[in-house]
Amino acid sequence: MIKVPYFSFALMMTISIPLVAAPIIEIEIRDHLFYPSEIEIPANTKVKLIIINQDATAEEFESYELNREKVIPGNSKGIIFIGPLPAGDYPFFGEFFPKTAQGKVIVK
Amino acid sequence: MLINSVIIILREVLEAALIISVLLAVSQKLQLSKQWLVAALIAGLIGAAVYAINLKMVSMAFEGSGQEIINANLHLLIYGFIFFLVAILKGKPYHRLTLLAMTSCVAVASIREGSEIIIYIHGFFAIPDLFLPVIIGSIIGMGIGISVGVLFYYLIVNMSFNNGIRLVLFLLILIAGGMIIQATQLLIQADIISSQLPLWDSSSIIDERSLFGQLLYALIGYESTPTATQVYCYITSLILMTFIANRTLKRFKLSHAS
Repeated sequence: MIKVPYFSFALMMTISIPLVAAPIIEIEIRDHLFYPSEIEIPANTKVKLIIINQDATAEEFESYELNREKVIPGNSKGIIFIGPLPAGDYPFFGEFFPKTAQGKVIVK
Repeated sequence: MLINSVIIILREVLEAALIISVLLAVSQKLQLSKQWLVAALIAGLIGAAVYAINLKMVSMAFEGSGQEIINANLHLLIYGFIFFLVAILKGKPYHRLTLLAMTSCVAVASIREGSEIIIYIHGFFAIPDLFLPVIIGSIIGMGIGISVGVLFYYLIVNMSFNNGIRLVLFLLILIAGGMIIQATQLLIQADIISSQLPLWDSSSIIDERSLFGQLLYALIGYESTPTATQVYCYITSLILMTFIANRTLKRFKLSHAS
């Protein structure tokens, strides 16, 4: 009985086989600001974001438009895959310090 | 900063509060002792602290996707316990298993939500100017989240036995679906499930940022831009859970004719 959901879930999963490595973009967090705060990526392409948090405090990378959310511990880094996305602007922010930590992914 | 803390903590607490209120209402309806909640919360908070302390290590694991993998598994575990609970929710011989399922479910949910709260608040120990507003905001957020939970609890408890159980099963089906959608979202973020273009964009109708959007997120796992995989997993989960819940409901009608 208990195995049913896991089994069906496993069936539903389509494990991705990366044929081409996703382009990598680095974003740094310093003094609760993103550097760079605007990044440009091509449309319909998967991109690997490496978020490096130089602050001592944790930050949460968050974007409703990108549907992404991840805690980046202080003095640490985290990886987030985004895309493929249609062209447009996708704002992101640091949920813990939203007044300063603001940025945007521009998909062209 | 204060308002921001209210929102962050509310989001975390709301999810756990909904699960706890529904399961407490189950205990009330089945006349079980509610002491399991204390054990579940203590275990959950210890787990959350251990997770929060080791977050840096977890983040670096699995080529930087450790957090997603652990969190997705926590969501799947909650799903598994809800499924198990719905499947065995019936007469007295199963009460022990029911208690075990409820305790495990709340303990895991507390690890997931509690760790984020600990990480968030802990960061402000280093910033004394912001510490007080953050703590006050967090307490307010926690208060609102718990209040919504209390509201749900009394809503269910004040219903007749059959209607109460019906609502409980309905809510558990939705909460389980939310767990599946969050797990798939995390696995997409970690590139374990291949990502796709979103199937639709309903952010202009219900914004995820709005209070209603947040409540829907906690209750049914609302996403304004889901991918086909997420929708597929969600619907499969709903069908599966509804099937199991229906079987449970039939058993209830036999044993509690009213």
